[in-house]
Amino acid sequence: MRAALRLAAPLLCVLTPAWAEPAVPVFTEETATAGLDTVYQGDWDYMVGGGVATFDCSGDGFPEVFLSGGAGPSALYLNRSHRGGALAFEKTDAVTLDAVLGAYPLDIDSDGVMDLVLLRQGENRLLRGLGDCRFEPANAAWGFDGGDAWSTAFAAIWETGQTWPTLAIGNYIDRKEEAFPWGSCTDNWLHRPEGNRFAAPIPLTPSFCALSMLFTDWNRSGHPSLRVSNDREYYKGGQEQMWHLEPGQPPRLYTEAEDGWKRLRIWGMGIASADVNLDGYPDYFLTSMADNKLQVLKDPASGKPDFADIAFKSGATAHKPYTGGDVKPSTAWHPQFADVNNDGVQDLFVAKGNVARMPDFAMNDPNNLLLGQPDGTFVEAGDRAGVASMGIARGAQVVDLNLDGKLDLVVVNRWTKAEVWRQTSEDLGGWVQVRLSQEGPNRDGIGAVIEIRRGDRVERHEITSGGGHVSGSVGWLHFGLGAAQSAEVRVIWPGGAEGKWQTLPAGSFTILKPDGAARVWVPG
Amino acid sequence: MPLDRRGFLALTGAFLATPALAADRADLCRTALLDWYRLVLELVRHTATYSPPVAARAFAYVGIIAHESHVGLIPGPVTLAGQLNGLTALPAPAPGLDPAAVLDAALGKAMADYFGNTGPSGQGAMQAMVRRLAERIDADLPPELAAKSRAHGVAIADHVWNWSLSDGGAVVENLGFPYDYTFGENPKDWVPTSDIRIQQAPLLPNWGANRPFAMPSTAACTIPAHPDFSTEPGSAFHAAAMEVYEVSKSLTAEQIEIARFWSDDPMLSPTPPGHWVSIVLQIAERDRMPAERTAAALAVLGVAIADGFIGCWAEKYRWNLVRPVTYIKRYIDPNWETLLITPPFPEYPSGHSVQSGAAAVALTAFFGEDFAFEDATHADDGLAVRRFASFHEAAEEAAISRLYGGIHYRFGNEQGLVQGRCIGAHAARLKTFA
Repeated sequence: MRAALRLAAPLLCVLTPAWAEPAVPVFTEETATAGLDTVYQGDWDYMVGGGVATFDCSGDGFPEVFLSGGAGPSALYLNRSHRGGALAFEKTDAVTLDAVLGAYPLDIDSDGVMDLVLLRQGENRLLRGLGDCRFEPANAAWGFDGGDAWSTAFAAIWETGQTWPTLAIGNYIDRKEEAFPWGSCTDNWLHRPEGNRFAAPIPLTPSFCALSMLFTDWNRSGHPSLRVSNDREYYKGGQEQMWHLEPGQPPRLYTEAEDGWKRLRIWGMGIASADVNLDGYPDYFLTSMADNKLQVLKDPASGKPDFADIAFKSGATAHKPYTGGDVKPSTAWHPQFADVNNDGVQDLFVAKGNVARMPDFAMNDPNNLLLGQPDGTFVEAGDRAGVASMGIARGAQVVDLNLDGKLDLVVVNRWTKAEVWRQTSEDLGGWVQVRLSQEGPNRDGIGAVIEIRRGDRVERHEITSGGGHVSGSVGWLHFGLGAAQSAEVRVIWPGGAEGKWQTLPAGSFTILKPDGAARVWVPG
Repeated sequence: MPLDRRGFLALTGAFLATPALAADRADLCRTALLDWYRLVLELVRHTATYSPPVAARAFAYVGIIAHESHVGLIPGPVTLAGQLNGLTALPAPAPGLDPAAVLDAALGKAMADYFGNTGPSGQGAMQAMVRRLAERIDADLPPELAAKSRAHGVAIADHVWNWSLSDGGAVVENLGFPYDYTFGENPKDWVPTSDIRIQQAPLLPNWGANRPFAMPSTAACTIPAHPDFSTEPGSAFHAAAMEVYEVSKSLTAEQIEIARFWSDDPMLSPTPPGHWVSIVLQIAERDRMPAERTAAALAVLGVAIADGFIGCWAEKYRWNLVRPVTYIKRYIDPNWETLLITPPFPEYPSGHSVQSGAAAVALTAFFGEDFAFEDATHADDGLAVRRFASFHEAAEEAAISRLYGGIHYRFGNEQGLVQGRCIGAHAARLKTFA
C-alpha cells in the first residue's frame, strides 16, 4: 500500500494528545450592542493597518478602546462595562483623526497619564494624555518629528539610563509610487531621546517595508534588540531584520557574517512573543501569507540568533482556513499570545483576512484561536469558541474588557465595523492580573520580565510595547492558573533588579512595585 | 542601463517627456514592449501562483502575442501559427494599422488575461501602465485608427488566450500544490523537504502532461536513468550525494555568489525563466534592438523555457528522485543544511538546468555563437552584475549553481542541460522572420 496524503486531514501526530484537550472558551459576539461602530476604511493606501489600542485613561481600571479608521475617522471609546457584565462603550470625539493606521498606548513622559502614539498616512502623532481621556498634540512640545510616510509598525523601549523612551517607527512603501511600488520601501526611523524630548530620527537603513516591530531581549543580555518583520511583497534584497541597540551606540544590524543571523524572507505582517517552549527565552510567532512561523532559539548557549521554525510540528502553521469551506491559503495579520482558557498554557490568537480581493488566497478566512497544550503544540478552536469571523481582519487585542478574569477580544476589520466578543465561559481555571508600577521613568515597566513559578518550572513573560499588527495595549497583565489557588510571581525590573517572589491569590488584581509592595486592587 | 527600478522609472519618465510629435513610431513600439515586459517580471514575482513552470508558460504566451502583433504590419515577421502545436491562423490586420497601438493593446490585454489574479498593487500598476502608454501612443493617431489598431491587438491576444486555455496549465489551484497526493514508498522516492505545510505535496505533479509548444511531445527529449539509488559508501549515488555534502563544506565566496545569483526563488525574484527573459531585455536595451526583433527573441525564448519545464516535469515525476537534503540527512549528516532553499518537488533532472539549456540553444540560434552579455537581473536585490561570453556559458553556470546551493546532484544538473538542449532545439527551429 502506498502512502497517501490528504492535505485536508488534520495532523494526527499533533492532534492526538496524551491528555485531555484544552478547555474551549466560549465567546459571545457583542458587536451589535457594545457601541463600537468605527470602520477601517480606504483603498490601496490602507490595505495594511487597521489597529486597535486598549488602555485605561479614565482611571477606573477598565480599558478604553481606540479604533483606527483608515481613510475615515478614528475614535476613542470609553469603557462603560461593568465587571463581568455585557460590554458597553461610549464613543467620544477625543481622538477623531483621519489617516490613522494604528495606535499604541505609552506613558511617554512618565507622568502617570497614558499617552498615545498614532501611526498615520502622513505625519505620525504623539498625543499627550491630560487625564479623563483628554489628549493634546505633543509633537512640537516633545520634539517629535512625525515625518511624512506610510507608517505601519511601532515599538518602544527605555534604553539603559534614559528617562525618555526610544521609539521605533516602521514605514511601508512610498505611497506616491502606486504605479510601480516594488522596491520603494521607505526608511524606518529610530526616535531616540535627547533629555526629555526626542532627537531627530535616525533612519534604520536598509528598511524593507516593516509591518511589525518589537524590542525584545531575545538572548537575555539585558539590552533588548529590535526585531523587524518585513513584507517581501515590496522589498528588493530584503529579509527579516534585527538591530543591535547598545546604549550610546548607533543601531547596528545583525548580519549573517558577524552575528550568525539567518536569512528569512516572508510576507511579514505581525510579531507576537512568548516563551512557548519554556526554555527561558522568548519565542516569536511571525504572521505571513499561507504558512506562519513559530521561531525558537536553536541553541541559546551559542549566543547566536539562529532560530528554528517549529510551526509545523507544533500545529501552528495556521496556513489555511479550518472552517467555512474555503481551502485557499490564508492571510494572517495580528498575532497575540494569551491564556484565553486560564489553563496556565499560552494560547495564540491570529487575525485573518484577505489583502483585498486576491483570488488565490482565501476570501473566507476565519480568525484562528489556537489553544496551547502542555507539550507545546496547539489545537484549533476558533470555530468552537465562536470567534471564527469571516470579516477581513487586521489588528486586534485579546484583553479583559470587563475585568472578570476572562479575556475578551476586539478585532478591526477592513471595510466593516470592528467586532467585539465577550468571553462567557464558565468553569475555566483561575487567574491573576497584575500591573507594574514604578516611580520615575517608564512607569509601566516596559522591558520588565514577569516570572511565574509553577511547581519546579519558572515561566518568563517579557513585557513589551510594540509588535502585533499596529495594535497594542497597556494595562492589566493576565495569567491563567489552571487549578492552582494562587500564583507565585516576581518581577525582573528593567535594569535587572529582581523583585521578591510573592504569592498572589487566584482571582486577584495586584499592582506590583519595585520595592516589593503589592497593592491589591478591586474593580469598581 | 541595468534592469532595475531606477532604470524603469527613468525610462518611463524620459518616454513621457518626449514631445509626441517627435516620437518615432518604432521607438514607441520598442518602449511599449520593454515597459510591459518590465512589468511582467514584477507581476511574475508578485503573483502567488507564478511558480517557475507557470511563469514559463506565461512568458511563452506573452512572447507569442508580442511577436504576432507585428505580423502583417511590418515587413519581416512571420506567424508562428502552424509551427506551434495547436496554434491556428491568427486574425489578419487591416491595412494601415498602427503597430505601436496594436502591440500596446495586445500586451495590455495579455496582462489582464494572464495576471488577472495578481494583488492590488499589481492591478494598480497594470492600470497605470495602460493609461500612460495609451496616452502617448494614441496622441498622434486619428481616434478611429487608434481604435481599429487596438481592436486588432486585442484580437491577437484573445486568439492566443483561447488557444492557451486547452494546454492543461490554465488552472492552478492551491498555488500549484495538490490537495491529494500519493507518495512513492521506496527510499529513493521524493519526500517533502520543508516544514512548510502547503508544501507537503510536490508542486504541479501533472505539469508534464501539458501540451508542449514546439516539441512534438515530451517523449522527444527524455533523459537516461540516474545512477542506481544506493546508500552504500563508494556507490555512484552515494558519491554524488557526498559531493553535494563536501562542496557545501568548502564553498568559496564566488560559489556562494553564483548559487545566489541563479537561485531565482519564486516570489522573491522573476523566477528562473524570468531570469532568462531579463537577459534578453537587457540585450535589447543595450543594442537598441527594434521591437519586432526583441519580440521574436522573447517568443522563441518563451517557447524554449516553457517546453523546458513541461519536459523537465515529465521526467521529474517519472524518476521521482529524493533530494540531496533528504539523502544526506538520512545517511550522512542529520544536521546538514543547504545554502539555498530546496524546491518542493523531485530532484531529477534540475529544472533550472533544463530551462537554461533550452534557453541557451534557442538564444544562440537567434543571436549567434559566442554572444557576450552582462547580466544585472538582480541588481535591485544587491547582487553584482555577472558577465558571460556566451549563452551556453551562462547556462552551465546556472546548472552548477544548483550543486553549490546543495539542492541538486551533479548528474541532475548535467542531464538537465542535455535535456534542455534537446528541447531548445525545437524552439530554435521556429521561423520568426521571412
